[in-house]
Amino acid sequence: MTVFRAFLRVLNKGKATIILYTIILIFFGIFNMQTSENSTNFVASKPDILIINQDKEEGITKNLMDYLKENSQIVEIKEEEQAIDDALFYRDVNYIVYIPKNYRQDFLAGKNPEIQIKSTGDYQASFAQMMLERYIKVANSYQNNIKEETQLIQKINETLAKQTEVEITSQLDTDHLSKATFYYNFANYSLLAGCVFVICLVLASFKDYKITKRTMVSSMSYQEFNRKLLLSNCLFAVVLWIFYGLLSLVLIGEVMFSIHGLIYLVNSFVFTLCAVTIAFLIGNLIQNKNAINGIVNVVALGSCFLCGAFVPMDWLPDYVLKIAHILPSYYYIKNNEWIKELETINYETLKPIFQNLIIILLFASLFVFMTNMISKRKQKT
Amino acid sequence: MDKIIQIKNLTKQYKDLKAIDNLTMEVRKEEILGLLGPNGSGKSTTINCILSLLNFEQGEIKIFGKEMKPDSYDIKAKIGMVFQEVAVLEELTVQENMDYFCGLYIKDKKTRQQYINEAIELVGLEEFRKFYPKQLSGGLLRRLNIACGIAHKPELIFLDEPTVAVDPQSRNHILDGIQKLRDRGATIVYTTHYMEEVEIICDRVIILDKGKVLASGTTDELKELAKIEEKITVEVNNLQPQYLEKIKKFESVDKVEYHGNILLITYQKGKNNMLDLMDYLKKENIKYNKIYSERPTLNDVFLELTGKELRD
Repeated sequence: MTVFRAFLRVLNKGKATIILYTIILIFFGIFNMQTSENSTNFVASKPDILIINQDKEEGITKNLMDYLKENSQIVEIKEEEQAIDDALFYRDVNYIVYIPKNYRQDFLAGKNPEIQIKSTGDYQASFAQMMLERYIKVANSYQNNIKEETQLIQKINETLAKQTEVEITSQLDTDHLSKATFYYNFANYSLLAGCVFVICLVLASFKDYKITKRTMVSSMSYQEFNRKLLLSNCLFAVVLWIFYGLLSLVLIGEVMFSIHGLIYLVNSFVFTLCAVTIAFLIGNLIQNKNAINGIVNVVALGSCFLCGAFVPMDWLPDYVLKIAHILPSYYYIKNNEWIKELETINYETLKPIFQNLIIILLFASLFVFMTNMISKRKQKT
Repeated sequence: MDKIIQIKNLTKQYKDLKAIDNLTMEVRKEEILGLLGPNGSGKSTTINCILSLLNFEQGEIKIFGKEMKPDSYDIKAKIGMVFQEVAVLEELTVQENMDYFCGLYIKDKKTRQQYINEAIELVGLEEFRKFYPKQLSGGLLRRLNIACGIAHKPELIFLDEPTVAVDPQSRNHILDGIQKLRDRGATIVYTTHYMEEVEIICDRVIILDKGKVLASGTTDELKELAKIEEKITVEVNNLQPQYLEKIKKFESVDKVEYHGNILLITYQKGKNNMLDLMDYLKKENIKYNKIYSERPTLNDVFLELTGKELRD
């Protein structure tokens, strides 16, 4: 108990930092709850379009313009090429439609006149492209059979008015699962920072050269002392994990009592074990207490940014994700993302999650091995 | 058991340097043994070897009649160590530090508390129990360092320069405490740079240099080894060189030094050279302010044996 009691006293000195990490986690957890809304229906978004019409605004030309206006946001930009290019560059507009001179006349004559476009190439622009292609396809298909323009326009409008109703049929509680994923992704930071901070602080105190000498001349065997210190640190990490787990029950609610919740907890537990081994490795390398905060920021924040804890993985560039493969946080966060999308739970769907858990444990083993090597080297000197 | 520590033919080598060279020495029960030597003489290496903190190439170390090994926890339980560097936990108060370090030896809470109280009283830290190390002055910190090393009531205590950079009040407190520990039955090995401390508290002294024992004995026995028997100091202004030359030719004068207004004369023999000198000064009509005679100090012995000042 002597070592554990002293460990708790040292831990008490670092409690303000641990509380800070927890407050950050709670703050972001609650913030996420406010911003996330349940969505089971689909609403098409409207791209920003600029129409440059060189034809007269009548007949089929007017109808095309009305269709585009109805299904997009029309933006006003000076009709000069430089201004248009700037607007595309700054994403003020997603799509430019150039309706050529005599479009109406040529279309009715079956000449299939070419409409030129400029685009940002993003998904909004793709949507605008789809819209334009849809209009032209429908108009072309009726133009062969209906020669009277008013009738043609009426038929085109009837067909285009038939919108596809999209309904999400998934049984998953996507809203709460998204919240849980966000929470546990962010917990990557709190768990890693908490473990690294506390364990490094404790090791810097107890493994100080002078204190080590005093411990080695005492009647407690050094192996026993190390074992007690290791157990104390592991106990702290488990308590931290339990606390963050309980916090997720409060913040996220019923989804945490489902099988999905259990998998989130298992994933975070395995990651906590790995965080402990990372902390021990760093604690053995660094003995300066003043450097601990800096190291926590580099290790915890660095891995969170690289592995997509704060921003979705989909938003990260490929090269960043490639680098992230060398960090255990990547596999932990990847698992959280997969858990969110688990429709059915069986061996096949859980297999990739188990594989990632094994990878995290392999990382932990590597860190333990490296820590032992460094420790032995230190003892020799 | 009269001999608490027995060291035979101990040799410790760092690459080409012999830090301890075939050292043989012993420490007797309930004595304060002063270990003297200039920097690099092998004092700390010897202590580290005794405590199994360092491996050694050759030799034998027995403590309480048993061979000392890194896993001799029964022996370690009876040893207290006060290192030269202050070794306490910054995050713990005075009381908590003592509880932790004493707890490495004493499991029973009541006994431990009683021992801690006694150690705190011994070093005079009663009013600072709830202070953190950063809040203590250098002297108080040293006292805490000592208290942490001796709280478990060890039978054998090593003190490695415990009074370095300590104010006179704390120093007296520490020295009194060490003597009290000896009076309570502890055996103490004490290393220091301060010769006067050795003369005050040590029962026996071993002088080490280059890992070898140069001399050992009581302070009086060691002083007998000195080539000089008397030192006379005279405070005199503007002494002319011809007088110095004449004084140098006095019988058994070893050395004459004159710096500022202090004339220092060392004699190889005799304890009554003062009268002859005073007669001469009177005859030459040389006025002086002070004149006094001294026996050789341990520092003189040390200087003769090692060719170095202790604080070099």
